[in-house]
Amino acid sequence: MSNPKKPHVTVMRSQLSRARGLGSGQAGVGHWWAERASAVALVPLSGWFVIQVFRLAGASQPEVAKWGARPLNTTMMLSLVILTFYHTQLGLQVIIDDYVHGKAHLPAGLLMKGIVFLLGLFGTVSVLKLALAGSSRGRIAAG
Amino acid sequence: MVEFRLPKNSTVGKGRIFTAAPGATNVKNFRIYRWSPDDDKNPVVDTYEIDLDKIGPMVLDALIHIKNDVDSTLTFRRSCREGICGSCAMNIAGENTLACLKPIRDIEGDIAIYPLPHMPVIKDLVPDLDGAYAQLRSIDPWLKSDTLPPPDSERRQSIEERAELDGMWECILCFCCSTSCPSYWWNGDRYLGPATLLAAYRWIADSRDEHAGDRLDALEDPLKLYACRTIMNCTQTCPKGLNPAKAIGRIKELQLERKA
Repeated sequence: MSNPKKPHVTVMRSQLSRARGLGSGQAGVGHWWAERASAVALVPLSGWFVIQVFRLAGASQPEVAKWGARPLNTTMMLSLVILTFYHTQLGLQVIIDDYVHGKAHLPAGLLMKGIVFLLGLFGTVSVLKLALAGSSRGRIAAG
Repeated sequence: MVEFRLPKNSTVGKGRIFTAAPGATNVKNFRIYRWSPDDDKNPVVDTYEIDLDKIGPMVLDALIHIKNDVDSTLTFRRSCREGICGSCAMNIAGENTLACLKPIRDIEGDIAIYPLPHMPVIKDLVPDLDGAYAQLRSIDPWLKSDTLPPPDSERRQSIEERAELDGMWECILCFCCSTSCPSYWWNGDRYLGPATLLAAYRWIADSRDEHAGDRLDALEDPLKLYACRTIMNCTQTCPKGLNPAKAIGRIKELQLERKA
């Protein structure tokens, strides 16, 4: 006779089977390396940006637009924006891997990546708008 | 999922107080986690007032004194009492360590003793390490070589090759490191944990082993290996003074090296 108070056992899989699980996902190196490489690249880019912000302190709107239209500044700004949001996405994925388990894991990652992608795209479009609008003096005066 | 609060049946209550004998002058309080599977009660913390003049210098001496002379129901693992078997690994004053190597005088105030964190508890200070042992088994912690050893001697290693294993062969598998690691707490079902990864690197680094590539293949996983966030609790807590974080870092370096 089975004991009615005895809890129903749902997992009898061996510990070794659980430890081996589904084997190795053959991934992780790329993510790990991209996280570090983008972090290192962001150090000089962020430093450059801070210096530029101080240099532009008190500048008028046309002056800032002129600064933003220079190809070097546009390149640096785009690098900064794209790498920042790329790195953000890599880092947030780690947090989701750590703290969100089960069925919520995949949708949480997709939602996060969608939001970060849109924010990054918004930043990119803003830099491009500054860059392209700055080349047309007439519009600046009108705007 | 991360558990920020203990489940209802795990919240720890107040336990009994075992007062020291009258006349004891050098008394220290040991507050010890108690839980038994035999009743449906929640865990409690019992307080034992111990006369330090009557016992040896280590925390394990106090535990053995309690079991022999005060409360024989207290359950814990111990064997060698000299830091080589790893049985008496537990959380003492907030730090995972071996009771036999932890001097009582190093701890100020009351001494809180709990089982290794975030493992199922079998009873009192005895954690269930079956999962951790199975993870160790899963990395094949033995020499794998297709070249036959010389018929008349052992497999040879240079002095330099042998030196590569220093800092790893000393691991006694007490799992103080793995159970101190937040990544292991949150993802212990897939993350192998520092103890097992140290063992894995011990065989990757062994010049006599011929399966480093297979071993790296088996570890190349977002959680098995890369759930390590270099928190470094493992290295800080290791009662043998080893550096599992460094071994994990080496595995990550090798994973990158073989990609380029």
